[in-house]
Amino acid sequence: MNLRNRFKSFIRKPHNIILVTMAVVLVYLTVIPLFTIIMDTFKVHSSELMRIKGSQVGDLTLYHWKQVLFNPANSGKIFYEPFMNTMGISAGTCLFAILVGGLFAWLVTRTDIRYKNLISTLFIFPYIMPSWTLAMAWLNFFKNDLVGGVPGFFTSLTGISTPDWFAYGPFPIVIVLGMHYAPFAYILIGGILRNMDANLEEAALILKANRFKIMWKVTIPIVLPAMLSTFLLVFSSAMSAFAVPAFLGTPVRYQVLTTQMFRTLNGLNPGYGYLMALIMILIGVFILAMNQKIIGKRRSYTTITGKSSNISLIRLKAIRTPLSVLLMAMILLVCILPLVSFAVESFIMEPGNYSLTNFTTQFWIGSGSPQIANGEPGIFRNSSIYTGFFNSVKLSVLVAFIAGTLGILAGYAIVKRKNSRLSTAVNNLAFFPYLMPSMAFGAIYLSMFAARRGFIPPLYGSFALLVLIGAVKYLPFASRSGVSAMHQLSNEIEEAGTIMGISWFKRMTKIIIPIQKTSFLSGYLLPFISCMRELSLFILLVTPSTRILTTMLFQYNEKGWNQYANAINLMIVGIVVLSNVIVNKVTGASVDKGIGG
Amino acid sequence: MPEIRLKNITKKFGKFLAVDNLNLNINDREFVTLLGPSGCGKTTTLRMIAGLETPTEGEIWIDNKLVFSSEQGIDVSPDKRDVGFLFQNYALWPHMTVYKNIAFGLENLKWKKDKVEERVIELLQMLKIEEFSGRYPSELSGGQQQRVAIARTLATGPKVLFMDEPLSNLDAKLRMEMRTELKRLHVETDSTFVYVTHDQLEAMTLSSKICMLKEGLLQQFDPPLEVYHNPGNAFVADFVGSPNINLLEVTGNNTNLDEVLLNCKELELMYTPVSSSLTVQENQKLLLGIRPEDITIEEGGKLKGIVYSTLPSGMETIVKIDFNGIILTSVVFRGTDFQVGKEIAVNFHENRYILFDAENGKNMGQGELSAL
Ligand SMILES: Nc1ncnc2c1ncn2[C@@H]1O[C@H](COP(=O)(O)OP(=O)(O)O)[C@@H](O)[C@H]1O
Ligand SMILES: [Mg+2]
Repeated sequence: MNLRNRFKSFIRKPHNIILVTMAVVLVYLTVIPLFTIIMDTFKVHSSELMRIKGSQVGDLTLYHWKQVLFNPANSGKIFYEPFMNTMGISAGTCLFAILVGGLFAWLVTRTDIRYKNLISTLFIFPYIMPSWTLAMAWLNFFKNDLVGGVPGFFTSLTGISTPDWFAYGPFPIVIVLGMHYAPFAYILIGGILRNMDANLEEAALILKANRFKIMWKVTIPIVLPAMLSTFLLVFSSAMSAFAVPAFLGTPVRYQVLTTQMFRTLNGLNPGYGYLMALIMILIGVFILAMNQKIIGKRRSYTTITGKSSNISLIRLKAIRTPLSVLLMAMILLVCILPLVSFAVESFIMEPGNYSLTNFTTQFWIGSGSPQIANGEPGIFRNSSIYTGFFNSVKLSVLVAFIAGTLGILAGYAIVKRKNSRLSTAVNNLAFFPYLMPSMAFGAIYLSMFAARRGFIPPLYGSFALLVLIGAVKYLPFASRSGVSAMHQLSNEIEEAGTIMGISWFKRMTKIIIPIQKTSFLSGYLLPFISCMRELSLFILLVTPSTRILTTMLFQYNEKGWNQYANAINLMIVGIVVLSNVIVNKVTGASVDKGIGG
Repeated sequence: MPEIRLKNITKKFGKFLAVDNLNLNINDREFVTLLGPSGCGKTTTLRMIAGLETPTEGEIWIDNKLVFSSEQGIDVSPDKRDVGFLFQNYALWPHMTVYKNIAFGLENLKWKKDKVEERVIELLQMLKIEEFSGRYPSELSGGQQQRVAIARTLATGPKVLFMDEPLSNLDAKLRMEMRTELKRLHVETDSTFVYVTHDQLEAMTLSSKICMLKEGLLQQFDPPLEVYHNPGNAFVADFVGSPNINLLEVTGNNTNLDEVLLNCKELELMYTPVSSSLTVQENQKLLLGIRPEDITIEEGGKLKGIVYSTLPSGMETIVKIDFNGIILTSVVFRGTDFQVGKEIAVNFHENRYILFDAENGKNMGQGELSAL
């Protein structure tokens, strides 16, 4: 066939049009920013004029590279130390998440532990809640007098002052991030354990291998790919976490790459920040490549047959009830207690004083008095909080709608043309934003869209910019669930419609989407939730008119208006958890599928 | 008038050649089967004719209309080819009831509601699935799903019907029943059927013509009995027929006028071609094809052997006979059994024993056979 005819038949297929369009748009929205970042590491920025003598804005320079990487006097403090801290934190978080998540997954799928449904539902809450929730709660409980102000509950109650290493720095960061990402491990490992052919284990059982041996020789090797996958996903997520290290590391000057980035991007050395962002992106890409090499080929969707494996569950016997209660207590501790503490904190007038007379509804429904917080009215009477609330909801709905819809189209087109280079490229491009540290991504979009670009008007300060960056950043979740949904649908289901002359649009809306609606809805849910609780992506981009709840929380927190911060946090958690539960109950969609379970 | 014509159709997946320069003429109202081992390109061929797959090279005509041409850049979309396709896994829409599955295509054509209903009911009756019309596919057995899939495909009355191994997911008994149904449908619907299967018995019993494929290459395109008795090559001979044809490795030499003396170990056979004469080189390696039913077991047979094993099934008995280390399969259409180890004698009465060239497997001719 000649080229023209090949092109004609190529372009007639909707999935090809989708792939080409997506490739172009995603290159523009993710690869160009990457190049912008690279360029920015060689450029002089206006705030750096003082340091780089005799230079002008936009001049090429090796200053940032030299200072960050090759200056024996400075590089250690600026880069190598935070870098090692980041690596350590990420590795520790992975281990913690896999250990805790894997253990829970194994207990729920393989033993007769009680409260399985409740555990399954509650265990993913730490992921749904904003990551700083647990960090704030940790501080509420274990704060010591290092930072001044009132100590936490623990010290108030027992009189014992917590040591610094326990209250701040790497130890609590690993625990908090580990708890936040343990649901990843729970979902991925649990998914494999649930779908894995029970015959494999039973076959070993018949051969009289003992339970431990089965675990070691059969179960672990089978879940190993899922563990690796978890490891790599959690590693790259933990690496770009900002809020938690900011909350828990700052008091002891424990710096990681993201906090360094925030300081430098916002401060006098954006060039440093871009260089750190670039290095983080490179590590992320390396991790993605490894992930694909190790499990990409072997990952088999055919295992998801929905066969119920009726393997005999391990009897926990005497420890069944105590263990169940213990696990439940742990989960409640992690899920519920923080919320209680936020609620309490938002009702007390003077921090640290928990007597009944100190309780007030001022911060919720008060009209505001000049002595307290500059006369800021209570949450329910505060017009700026209403603005933030509506902005947050509007933003999350729009982002979810765009990302989710694109995710369906991407999933459809990628699977339809699977094994082709174009489809692999789009698949990777759609995942790429996952590897972009949110803060750097925000910084780049800020500079990229400050001026008119082609037909795109200047977007700085506009709501559209928030929607755009949110949709791109959360596309990975949606496209993952789209791809896995399409993998489960045989090609013939659509072709049966094609051959009857049913139009592409009708095939999508009447056949494909209705059949896989649960999976596709999950592709809307996760972007919604993530967007609702996102801080670092938007923090550089919001203006007073486009402010959202999370950035307001950050501001209240910085001003030390603790009660407002706690109240807003409670609101965010409430919206997120409630919408998750409602969507889950009504449609069966869940965040699991976006993560890859 | 040929209904479907394939000209030099080639399909490559990357470098892999799935269908190699296929030429095929399928006549109106024929029941053609594409037969071959798994992976030989049957599905690909069918999908190309239906328009679900784009050929790399060649032309396809349906009903005197050019629907695909790589040269001219013509590629008519599947729905404009007026064909129906029955998928191997049925591909029923799980979220629609049986009724809706069948009606959906008609509603899409903007048929009036009462017309749709009339047609659906007609189909439900034709396939004897009226009582399931309100059910969802997951609530049906495999055979019932199959019928729904057929009804759905027939709904719009396509002139050509493609079926990709439609019976392979059914159990043996249902398969038998559905074969009968399909043959009846072929007559009732008055359309052309193109049917894919790897089951030679299905191809033999159903089709008016068999298109035999191997590794993307056409081997033979003939009516079933012709394929059976006069296979184009040793591969085809071996593929059709159960129990399998006996393929004996022999060396041949011309003797007398046009007789060929065949040697296999100590066995010597005289072969007389029935039609044209047959010239072989000295000691040429040949394959002698003998259908099991063409070995007659009778007392006083010229060739003596020992019963090696027997498989009596009631209607027939398959006997393996050992002739001094050469084991041949014979079949007897009687409810008799033979005692293993007993001496037994056979004769060759037919005139359709086939010689193949051992090098390229080509059919060299048919003839008579006698033991020396
Ligand atoms: N989409 C595809 N991509 C690559 N190879 C394919 C594709 N479809 C089929 N093939 C290959 O083409 C050959 C013929 O396939 P197919 O027509 O499905 O065989 P059959 O139906 O006869 O079993 C097989 O070797 C198969 O692996
Ligand atoms: Mg096939």
